[in-house]
Amino acid sequence: MPNTEYLKIPKERVGVVIGKEGKVKQNIENATKTKIYIESETGNISIFPAEDMEDPLSVWKARNIIRAMGRGFNPEVAFKLLNDEYVFDIIRLPDFVGKSKKAIIRQKGRIIGREGRTREIIKDMIDVDVSVYGKTVSLIGDIERILVAKEAVEMILNGIRHKSVYAFLEKKKQEMKRKEFQKIV
Amino acid sequence: MNYSTVIGDPMAEKDRWGVANIYSSFNNTIITITDITGAETITQWSGGKVVRADRQEASPFAAMEAATRAAEDAKEKGIVGLHIKVRAPGGNGPRTPGPGAQASIRALARAGIKIGKIEDVTPIPHDGTGRPGGKRGRRV
Repeated sequence: MPNTEYLKIPKERVGVVIGKEGKVKQNIENATKTKIYIESETGNISIFPAEDMEDPLSVWKARNIIRAMGRGFNPEVAFKLLNDEYVFDIIRLPDFVGKSKKAIIRQKGRIIGREGRTREIIKDMIDVDVSVYGKTVSLIGDIERILVAKEAVEMILNGIRHKSVYAFLEKKKQEMKRKEFQKIV
Repeated sequence: MNYSTVIGDPMAEKDRWGVANIYSSFNNTIITITDITGAETITQWSGGKVVRADRQEASPFAAMEAATRAAEDAKEKGIVGLHIKVRAPGGNGPRTPGPGAQASIRALARAGIKIGKIEDVTPIPHDGTGRPGGKRGRRV
């Protein structure tokens, strides 16, 4: 079944995808039952399904995991994507702040916060992993939570004060708690 | 010489393949199964056809249900395999398929249909129209 995926990742992230003695790459291959070929000079990657593949989506999964690593996540976090309920999303900063390099750097700082405060608050409150890398902000988490996190990041990018964003996250967190409670009852 | 095999009478063919077009947004999942040309629709199912509440239309459960029913219809028409085209809203909207996409593909496979190529056909603008919201952003 010719069902190959090709993608390209930044050169400096190739080492992360391969891992020490190829461990990370092997783990991806075993977990998703795929074959991965990496051209370390260019960062081009091709993913082929292995012969004993059962799940038709495994190539996709492998692609998402590699893409997440290429976008700055460490392998442990990226492996959360093996779970079906987790999704991976990218926000491109130039869409919000324009091409100016200064503006991008400033907004990246705003998303990370002093000593990573803001990023940590997003992680703690709604359990979404955030990675700020290059010109992108990437998120890994449950699909409903990712929508909330995305809105929060967009709020920061649109220039809203951190205080209001934290308040927004707090409100959403309460809402989600209530929903879960209702599900149980 | 048997002409029907040369011309390729569609009814005589044993392995008929089709295309499953899956449109998966955050509000709904629509599955359209067509023949291989894409011109003739065989069945169409959506999340909204299987659940009552609006907010459940995009849920993985609704997508699974819709996909299994679509698979039944397709099998009835003699289709054994499906190529898959997944699509997110695209354009100015989200470009990652919603929660229903994975669920529906898996349900199709479980219903006993062979899965061929999986392709992402999300429309991506080569710089199109502006994002909604205007200069001052969305005011709630």
